[in-house]
Amino acid sequence: MTASSLPGGQSARLRRLRRDYFGSPLAVLMTLLSAAVIAWIGWFLLDWGVIRATFGADGTQETCVAHGGACWSVIAVRWRVILFGIYPYEEQWRSALACVVVGVVILLSCLPRMWSFGRLALVWVLGTVIFYTLMRGGVLGLVPVNEQQWGGLPLTLFIFVATGIIGMPLAIGLALLRRSEYPVIARVTGWIIDTIRSLPLLSILFTCAIVLPFMLPGFLIGEKLYRVLFGAALFFAAYQAEIIRGGFQGIPKGQEEAAKALGLTYWHRTFRIVLPQAFRLALPATINQFVIAFMETSLIVVVGFMELLAAGNTAFKTGEWKFAYAEVYVFIAAIYFAFVFGLSRYGAYLEARMNVGHRKD
Amino acid sequence: MKTTLKLTLAAGAMALSAGVAQAGTGDTLKSVQARGQLNCPGDIGSYLGFAEVDDKGVWKGIDIELCRAMTTAIFGDPAKANIVPIDWAQRWPALQSGDIDIVIKASGGTRSRDTELGLQFSMSYYLGTTKVMAHKELNLTSLKDAEGGSICVPASTSTERQVASYLQAKGIKMEIVAIEKNEEVEAAYFSGRCDTYAQWGPVLAIAASQSEAPDSHVLLPDVLALEPEVMIMRQGDDNWVDIANWTLSALLFAEQEGITSANIDEVKANPPTAEIGKFLGATPGMGTGLGLQDDWAYNVIKKVGNYSEIFERSLGQESPYKMPREMTALWNAGGVLFPLVVD
Repeated sequence: MTASSLPGGQSARLRRLRRDYFGSPLAVLMTLLSAAVIAWIGWFLLDWGVIRATFGADGTQETCVAHGGACWSVIAVRWRVILFGIYPYEEQWRSALACVVVGVVILLSCLPRMWSFGRLALVWVLGTVIFYTLMRGGVLGLVPVNEQQWGGLPLTLFIFVATGIIGMPLAIGLALLRRSEYPVIARVTGWIIDTIRSLPLLSILFTCAIVLPFMLPGFLIGEKLYRVLFGAALFFAAYQAEIIRGGFQGIPKGQEEAAKALGLTYWHRTFRIVLPQAFRLALPATINQFVIAFMETSLIVVVGFMELLAAGNTAFKTGEWKFAYAEVYVFIAAIYFAFVFGLSRYGAYLEARMNVGHRKD
Repeated sequence: MKTTLKLTLAAGAMALSAGVAQAGTGDTLKSVQARGQLNCPGDIGSYLGFAEVDDKGVWKGIDIELCRAMTTAIFGDPAKANIVPIDWAQRWPALQSGDIDIVIKASGGTRSRDTELGLQFSMSYYLGTTKVMAHKELNLTSLKDAEGGSICVPASTSTERQVASYLQAKGIKMEIVAIEKNEEVEAAYFSGRCDTYAQWGPVLAIAASQSEAPDSHVLLPDVLALEPEVMIMRQGDDNWVDIANWTLSALLFAEQEGITSANIDEVKANPPTAEIGKFLGATPGMGTGLGLQDDWAYNVIKKVGNYSEIFERSLGQESPYKMPREMTALWNAGGVLFPLVVD
C-alpha cells in the first residue's frame, strides 16, 4: 500500500500483482480457474437478476415466466409486507420512522465522540422512548398498535438492539461476579452461565413466551415480546460474559496487583484498568457475538412474532406470488447482508483504532 | 430438528394442560367481551387459502373469515377480530395459556387432541382429504399404476405417515421421497424428480392451479385419508362451543336458505318463514341462550357473508385457486355440510 505512494508505485503494484497471481504455472492455472468460476457466477446473476428479470409492479406470473429471469415485481408489490409485516397499513409510516430512529441511535453510538456514559444513556433512553411511542401508539393521537402486530424490519432491529442493551450490562455483571474473590459467588455465577449456555436458544425463547405465564404471578407476566426479549438477552449475556472473561485472562495479573498496591478501590481497578483492556482484547469475539445475535433474531418466529424473515415468508406465500420465493429470499438476504457487513466493517475500524492506541504504549 | 421441536412442544403442552384449570362455562365469552377483542391464530408465513396476508398486510382466508364471523356474532363488528401470528407447533400452548381464545387453523379433530390435550371441538367446517397428484403423461388411473415409481411427500407430517400406511395396506411398492419444506416438495415434483406428489387436498389443488401448466397434472382418485377440520377450544366451556357451533350453523343456514350479505335486508323486512324471522332477529330468542344479541346472526351474514360467500372468496371462484366445493358443499348440493335446525 505504501508502495503506490512512492515514485514508480504503479509499476511496483503491477509487479506484485504478477508475482502473487501469476508466479508459477500452478498459480496461473488457479487464477484462470477462479476467474472463470467468478465470471460464470457473475454472468448467471446478471442474466437472472437483471437481463431477463421482470421489474415493476405490473408484472405477473405469466410475464415473469415468459421473461425467464427473476421476478422483482413481487418486491415492488409486496415490499410493505416484507418490511413491516402485519402492522396496520395506514400506520406504516410510524414503522418506517421507528426504523430510522433505531438507525440514527446505532449510528450515533458508533461515533467515538459519543462514548461517555451520560451521552450514550441519553441517546438510548431517548431513542427507546421515541421508538416505543411510535410503534405502540396510544398517546399523542397515535392509534394504539399491539406488540403482536409489530413485524418486519423494525421488529428485527428492536430485538437486536434490545438484546444488546440489556445483554451487555448483564454480561459485564456476570463476568465480574464469576471472577469474584468469594468462591460461593464465583461458583454459583459459573454454574448459571454454564446452564444457560448449555440450553438451546429456541427452548429458552419458548419457555419465556409460553411456559413462564403459568409460573409467574399475574403482575409479573407482562407482554410476551418483553419476556422473549429478556430470554434472548440472558442467552446473549451468558455467551458475552465468557468472552469478557477471556479478555480478563489476557491481562497480566501484575496490573491489578499494582493497582491494589497503589490503594485504588475495587471500582477504580475494575472500570479504569481491567475492563477497558479486557474489552479491547475481547473486541473481535464481541463483534462476532453481535453478528450472531443479529442472525438469531430470526428465531423469534417460533414464538409467534413476524420478524423480517417471517414477514418475507408471508409476502410470497399467497396465490399470486408463491412461485417467486427465491426473489424474496434474495431481497431479505441483501438486507441482512447490509447490516452484518456494516457491523463487521465497523468492528474492523474499531480494532484498527484501538491498535493505534496500543502501539503508542 | 423440526420433529424434536414439535415433540418438545407437544410434551410441554400436555404437561401444561394437566396443570391448567379448565375453563368454566361462559368464562371465555366474558373475558373476550371484557377485552373487546377475539384473539384467533393467524400464521407465521401463510397457509394458502386458509390464512394469508394481502398487499396491505390484512389477513384473509377461510380460517380468518370464520374468526371474523365469530367476532361479529359477539361484537357485531368484524374489525374486533385480533389475528395473532402463531406457528403450527404453538397453537395448543397458546390456546392453553389464553393467548388465543380459539384455534381455527386448518386443524383436524383427533383423539389425542380431544382426550390428551384437554381440548374440545366444534362441528367440522371443512373436510380435508389427502390426495395424490401425478404427471399427466404417465397415464396413471390410480396409485396402483404407479408401482415402482416415486412419490414426493412433505417430511415429518401426518401426510408422510398416511402415505406409508396406504402404500403398505394396498401392497404398493414405491420410493418415498420426503422433503422438509412445502416449496421444495413442490419444486421437486414439478421438476420431475417424483412421478407423484401426495399432499393435503387443498394444498395440492392450489399447487396444481398455480403451476406453469395446470393441465399437465391429474389428481388420482385415491383418497389416502380424511381429516375433518374443526374449531378447537379449551375443555370445559360449553357456552363457548355453542357459540362456535352456532356461528358455523348460521353461515350454513343462511346459505341453505339463500340469504346473502346482499339480499339480507330484504329478507329481514319480509321473512318467508317464522324460523328465518327468528334467525335474523326480527322476532326475539336467537341470542338469549348463547349470551349474545338477538340479531347476531343478521350481523354475521350482513358483515361477513354466508358460508358460500366466504368459501368462494377464500378458496373458490373469486380466489386465485378456483377450487370446487366438492365435499364441503351443503347436503342438498352433494356435500356433507349441514346447519343445525333453527327453531
